[in-house]
Amino acid sequence: MTAARLALRSLARHPVRLAASVAGIALALTLTLALDAIYTGVANGLTAYIDHTGADVWVSQAGVRNLHMVASWLPDTVVDQVRAVPGVTDATPILYSTDTVAAGDDRGVAYVIGLPPGAPVGGPWSVVDGTGQPTAGGVVVDAAFARRAGVSVGGQATVMGRSARIVGLTEGTGSLVNSVAFVPFADFRAARGGAPVVSFVLVRVAPGAAPEAVASAIEAKVPGVTAMTGSAFSAGERRLVMDMSADVIAIMDGIGFIVALVVVALTLYIAVHGSRHELAVLKAIGARNRVLYATVLAQSAVSVAAGVAVAVGITAALAVVVPRTGVALEPALTLASVARTAAVGGAVALIAGVLPIRDVAHVDPLTAFRRGGAPA
Amino acid sequence: MTTTLAIRGVTKQFGHGATSVEAVRGVGLSVESGEVLLIMGPSGSGKSTLLSIMGALLRPTAGTVTLNGVAISQLPERDLPPVRLREFGFVFQDFNLLAALSALENVALVAELAGTARAEALRRAGELLTELGLAERVAFLPDQLSGGEKQRVAIARALINDPSVILADEPTANLDSSNGHEIMRTLRAVAKERGRSVVIVSHDQRIRDIADRVVWLEDGQLRDLMTMAVDPVCGMSVEHDRAVTLEQGGELRFFCSRGCRAEFLGELDGPAETRPARTGPLASLFQAVRPKTP
Ligand SMILES: Nc1ncnc2c1ncn2[C@@H]1O[C@H](COP(=O)(O)OP(=O)(O)OP(=O)(O)O)[C@@H](O)[C@H]1O
Ligand SMILES: [Mg+2]
Repeated sequence: MTAARLALRSLARHPVRLAASVAGIALALTLTLALDAIYTGVANGLTAYIDHTGADVWVSQAGVRNLHMVASWLPDTVVDQVRAVPGVTDATPILYSTDTVAAGDDRGVAYVIGLPPGAPVGGPWSVVDGTGQPTAGGVVVDAAFARRAGVSVGGQATVMGRSARIVGLTEGTGSLVNSVAFVPFADFRAARGGAPVVSFVLVRVAPGAAPEAVASAIEAKVPGVTAMTGSAFSAGERRLVMDMSADVIAIMDGIGFIVALVVVALTLYIAVHGSRHELAVLKAIGARNRVLYATVLAQSAVSVAAGVAVAVGITAALAVVVPRTGVALEPALTLASVARTAAVGGAVALIAGVLPIRDVAHVDPLTAFRRGGAPA
Repeated sequence: MTTTLAIRGVTKQFGHGATSVEAVRGVGLSVESGEVLLIMGPSGSGKSTLLSIMGALLRPTAGTVTLNGVAISQLPERDLPPVRLREFGFVFQDFNLLAALSALENVALVAELAGTARAEALRRAGELLTELGLAERVAFLPDQLSGGEKQRVAIARALINDPSVILADEPTANLDSSNGHEIMRTLRAVAKERGRSVVIVSHDQRIRDIADRVVWLEDGQLRDLMTMAVDPVCGMSVEHDRAVTLEQGGELRFFCSRGCRAEFLGELDGPAETRPARTGPLASLFQAVRPKTP
């Protein structure tokens, strides 16, 4: 307690030094936090359709566990088989493909969904203009994409190699890397040669039924399919992005750790050397070494905690500001990411705080009697 | 009066071999409660070293230090911090207050280190500072205090754990004469009113006035006080054997240098006659070193 107070006072005595050290730590940690938030934002964008579409269970071709960069083809007949499984309230077939959507001068990758008329799930969840239910020859596109392309409802877009009329604009369907477009089920099938296949069957389960149990039942009763709960399907999709980013994040964590460690260790070294005379006085008075170690460690902890807080603050601010700049990205600061940064910070504080122990131990209390220490 | 702190046959050697220094050589001393002991001597004579040994900051190479009957020089290192904290109060030439803490906190900290709860530590610190005339200054940072005030804060800090012995190294060296006097009176009061033993190391001749006893250290050894005198010009203690002397009106005076003697003669503004040191009365000398009766 005494040590903590001494630490705070010593830090407060050199506000510029403290600010520089906190800024250095914050900068080092913000790099990782912000990158992580960006990846999370991208992952959120990629899974937005899965997360919002309202399906409790996703039924796909056996072995298909993702949306991104895979194709799932099931025979038409599967839909009725799924519908017959106990616990299934409704089963909506959708067609799905990764394609490009072009409008005006803009062109972007999109998850194109072929949506049956009156589909209870699988459609857009936030319509800002026009309709959410694409009619023949029509397409529902992401509002942000339309804004960039300079088109609106009534305009033209090219999707799956055909020209379509924009009939609706939706929100939350765009990310930095792709958007979601909805076309009528029949148009999609026609564009693909009319084969009697579907990509996925989206299932809603009866109230009180567990999606996991229904998914297992579907896999047991319907041959050749994989059935996953919506959350498991989303998590798998998310893992795709996060696995790609994990290495980068780990490297950035490492860099952040080293930079923060150097910053804290250096400022503490300066602080300890600058206060050798005071440490000698404390020793002469009878303070035990461990009180002095605790003081140094507390200084380290306080600087790092402030640095972590600033880094989190900066990243949180970025998460708010970036989407407003028109970039189709919503960096997302997660608790896990903050916890990981705090853990990195904790390691930095501990190591940096322990490094000067030898110096502190070697301070000779007798120097308190010598001149040359800053008289105060 | 009881003997509080006693050292016997204390020797301190720094380093080994050709470069070794014997800073203290076979010194024996004791100080009683309520007594003010002044240790004087030229620079480098081992005063600070001796004081550090007395205060358990430095282990003697040989000899023993006994505090209230306990041979503290024999204690293992890990047992010494509490002894320093509770049994000794240190007062330094440079005051050595912690710059980041207020006067009150500087004093209270030492009590807190000894395990006193913060509220109680602050209360006692406030009381002590008030007694030392610093009631208005408790919230000040050391930088905002005068030298004399800082030294009084340092004395309060030395006193807060009720130590048996106060050890002060050149406590007045950084103070002007009125502040120096103030500090000396305070230190004497500490001995007399609180019954503490006060050991002061100083070059400062003025401290003689408050000391009950004066010892002279030279080359790490205690010297016979009879051979010492005070240069009336610069105030330095000079060894009578080596002093430049002046006999005037039947009185023999001792100077540290010809320069001081010349200055003395200039001040008197009259002719004078010099003679070798070994003759003549020693009245002034005796007066200079006569211990005060407590
Ligand atoms: N840690 C040390 N290592 C080596 N020599 C030392 C050490 N401390 C003191 N000395 C030597 O011991 C001798 C006595 O030093 P000390 O500081 O005790 O003298 P002092 O009487 O206090 O002098 P001053 O009046 O200048 O403060 C000196 O020769 C000094 O150089
Ligand atoms: Mg000294």
